[in-house]
Amino acid sequence: MTTTSGDPSARLADGLHRQNSTGLGRLLGSGGVGHAEEGPDGKLTATIRIPEDELCFEPGTLILPHGGDIELTLINDDKNTHCAVLPNNGDNKIIWLVNHSKGTASITLDGPGTYYYGSTTGNDEGRGLVGAIVIAGEVPDEAKLDRPPQPRP
Amino acid sequence: MTDYVDAGQAIPLSTLSNIKGSAPATGNVDYDRILDARSEPQNWLTYYGTYDGQRYSSLDQINKENVRRLSPAWVFQAGAVGMQSGSSTYSFEASPLVVEGVMYVSGPDGRCFALDAKTGAELWRYKHASPYDVSLCCGNVNRGVAVGHGKVYMATLNAHVIALDATTGEKVWDTVAGDVRAGESRTVAPLLVKDLVIVGSSGGEFGTRGCLDAFDAQTGERRWRCYMIPKPGEPGSETWPDDGEAWQRGGANCWVTPTYDPELELLYQGTGNPAPDFDGGVRPGDNLYTDSIVAVDVNTGEIRWHYQCTPHDLWDYDSTMENLLFDAPDGRKLLAHADKNGYFFVLDRTNGELVRVFPFVDRITWGEITPDGKVTPKVYPDEEGVPVHFWPGPAGGKEWTHMAYSPQTGLIYVPVQEVGATATRRRREFKESIPYWGAGVAVDLEDYYGYVAAIDPVSGEEKWRWRNEYPMCASTLATGGGLVFQGTPSGEFVALDAETGEKLWEFQCGSGHHSSPSTYSVDGRQYIAVPTGWGGWVEGFLPGLLGAAAGDSLFVFALPEE
Repeated sequence: MTTTSGDPSARLADGLHRQNSTGLGRLLGSGGVGHAEEGPDGKLTATIRIPEDELCFEPGTLILPHGGDIELTLINDDKNTHCAVLPNNGDNKIIWLVNHSKGTASITLDGPGTYYYGSTTGNDEGRGLVGAIVIAGEVPDEAKLDRPPQPRP
Repeated sequence: MTDYVDAGQAIPLSTLSNIKGSAPATGNVDYDRILDARSEPQNWLTYYGTYDGQRYSSLDQINKENVRRLSPAWVFQAGAVGMQSGSSTYSFEASPLVVEGVMYVSGPDGRCFALDAKTGAELWRYKHASPYDVSLCCGNVNRGVAVGHGKVYMATLNAHVIALDATTGEKVWDTVAGDVRAGESRTVAPLLVKDLVIVGSSGGEFGTRGCLDAFDAQTGERRWRCYMIPKPGEPGSETWPDDGEAWQRGGANCWVTPTYDPELELLYQGTGNPAPDFDGGVRPGDNLYTDSIVAVDVNTGEIRWHYQCTPHDLWDYDSTMENLLFDAPDGRKLLAHADKNGYFFVLDRTNGELVRVFPFVDRITWGEITPDGKVTPKVYPDEEGVPVHFWPGPAGGKEWTHMAYSPQTGLIYVPVQEVGATATRRRREFKESIPYWGAGVAVDLEDYYGYVAAIDPVSGEEKWRWRNEYPMCASTLATGGGLVFQGTPSGEFVALDAETGEKLWEFQCGSGHHSSPSTYSVDGRQYIAVPTGWGGWVEGFLPGLLGAAAGDSLFVFALPEE
């Protein structure tokens, strides 16, 4: 978190990361960045928490090195009930997270690309409980167009 | 602190719904059955109803005399949860398929539904997770599925092609067909021919190299790929600069389902605009096979012939729209194509020879095509920074939405858009996944209208037109009841007399139409199904209604039961 040191504009910017500070909720996408761990079998795992009274997922952005299966551990450290509706090939998955609870979610996603998930109760999403899963990597060579490598932005 | 409460495992969201979870097994749909689809009008087995693209059903229970009593039988609402790509541009564009009382239809955002075609009950649902940041020129859309071999085939926004078990919706195979980092996507309804699933590319506004693929229907393995931009040295490459890279980003995508002639074993694929759309200075030449009707050998993927509707396109005049197959009274095997450029082409579908070309819209200023097919551009973005206005606009006199042919009347019913646009050339360098238009484009916010034109493809004569305040941005459907159905951008679903164009019935669906209705019957009762939901490339075909209500509902109509 940035230091405000009395600067009003810096204080307002810092408030973007807090509940009921500059805005009403926390700005989406303002959380930390984390990385999934890859086991020797290629299985991806990560832990995501909901901190107390912050109405956000932490890390807010989870980076995966490639698409495939991922096992998430979801922990609600908040003193209110939330949930997570997660993207998954086949159907979204939902887990209900009462106060001080812990569960898991097994999901499968294609890479590359960015997927968002959220707590679909009340306006948890608007207050900040939206997380991103960002999948890096490339599509298989056989799916690429037959042409020389092209410039990217 | 106490231990955490055990929240258990996340479960599929659909388990918390009234979805049944499975659909009844139907009789097997295979190539022979689709070949003869016209003989079972109670079903709508393939995207256009039949391989010829006529979008005609002989069902006649709903007819001119009783259509005024047509009422909703049921409504299905696709809905959405969470953040989805193109959340302001989604549209329900599909054409519902029906097999023995089970409807298979795709919705926005990677969803496929099996519904009870009689009641609307949701039998199963599949959702392919779509990246939020996928490149989409024209919204979060999907135009439908193919059914056969016990499977449902669908293409996805992130350029996968998948096969689902038709009874459970479980995924059977999943093939990565394209490169999302290159701006490729897939929005087309697959076409099942023999044991092949035919799927074309989307991504023309991102400078991709358009292609048509055939996948093994059982395994998903790619059997052939037909690129629509030749590499240097290949036939057609002489129409591209030989000292440059333009061919690598040339466009010619195949984002509308081809039609198919089983005797000639040819697929008729329309191809998209060249890239960059409006800046021809970086791609001198005719730019084959962009903006073309391309006949592709279904067994090998080789191009047999082509006809280019707009050589060296400077107006975004894709020719992706359908090529409707019909036979002339003298037996000649013909093909009809209403192009974005405002001209209606009739070709000999055995060899691509031009039989007739004539305008089907009122206002054409971009250029002229003479009756013998000579193309003369007149107005186009040429000088950097200089605005140029032209008709039709880049969505065309007719966009991808389909026309229909009634063998009862011999007429083709064309949904027409009368909208112009201004393009200002702005050259830019190519970068993968970034829009590559070469111009700023503003489509007219006024002075637009539309109509359904009933055209005799043999004479070229327009027999009647049903005029509407707004352009026609949805497909027509012709039936044996002597009716033509058409949805409007303002939400009305109308039935017209196929012989006169008189409006006989309408129903306000609450959101604009940008889809392809189909018809079927269950237990002797005929239904008309139409997805509604205003969206897609609205800023391209009718920005005057950018503020109109969105939606994603499927309406199904029938006559009241006795």
